[in-house]
Amino acid sequence: MAETLFGSEFDLEALLQRALAPVDPPENLSKHLEQTLTSIADLAEQELESWELSAMRDPKNWIPGITRPVAAAAIGGVAGAALVVLQVRGRLRAAQR
Amino acid sequence: MDKATLDREFSDLYRAHLKDVYSYAYYRVGNHHDAEDLTEQTFLQAYRHFERAVAESDGRPLRPWLIRIAHNLAANLYRDRSRKPQTPIDDTQHLRTVHTTEDLVEGRDELARILEGVQQLPDDRREALIMRFALGMDNREIARAMGRTDGATKVLIHRAIKQLEQIVQTQGAAA
Repeated sequence: MAETLFGSEFDLEALLQRALAPVDPPENLSKHLEQTLTSIADLAEQELESWELSAMRDPKNWIPGITRPVAAAAIGGVAGAALVVLQVRGRLRAAQR
Repeated sequence: MDKATLDREFSDLYRAHLKDVYSYAYYRVGNHHDAEDLTEQTFLQAYRHFERAVAESDGRPLRPWLIRIAHNLAANLYRDRSRKPQTPIDDTQHLRTVHTTEDLVEGRDELARILEGVQQLPDDRREALIMRFALGMDNREIARAMGRTDGATKVLIHRAIKQLEQIVQTQGAAA
């Protein structure tokens, strides 16, 4: 695109390229922004960890979603078996006396 | 994607595009103070929504998404303050900080007139030119950033250049 302007040939797109040259961000902005993003990321991680700890105290959160009933049945089964073993041992001890 | 990987990818995005976001913000708002605020808010918002953006991007570059965030925040900034840029770009200061001595010797007046002309364009045309010339974005990227079709973006840029040409010629004739 060559036009006569300011008394000379000029290319508007080339001038735009120079007029709108990329601008370097100030150094303090880069540092400040990196610190802010790092602290937000750390905070999010800490929050996640503390949520995980508190969630672990509640058995409802041990195994999420659809596996929960299966896990409950499995845990119940193990507990039931343990109870039977204890009862058998108790009867054996009583018989020994 | 686990959090460590996500943070690493965000860090890469930040390093790759900090200058783009700052350049866009600077030419959009016209001063360094607001440009710094806008850049900071853009990256904070981007961090909050990064996981979803990555999932929805299908591997496409995220620069248009970043610039779209900056564009929306800039629009909010003007709406909240009910004003246009407080001050137009200070041509003298801008030319001194952004351009080389050689540039200035060669065509300071021309560059100042171009910048002045860009400031007079309607918002969407000005933004399209900033994205094209300051950030080097292609039509497709600009279309994604502005929420337009590729065809509409091509027309927008063409009209922006034509209008700028007229503005600059009028200025030249008046000078």
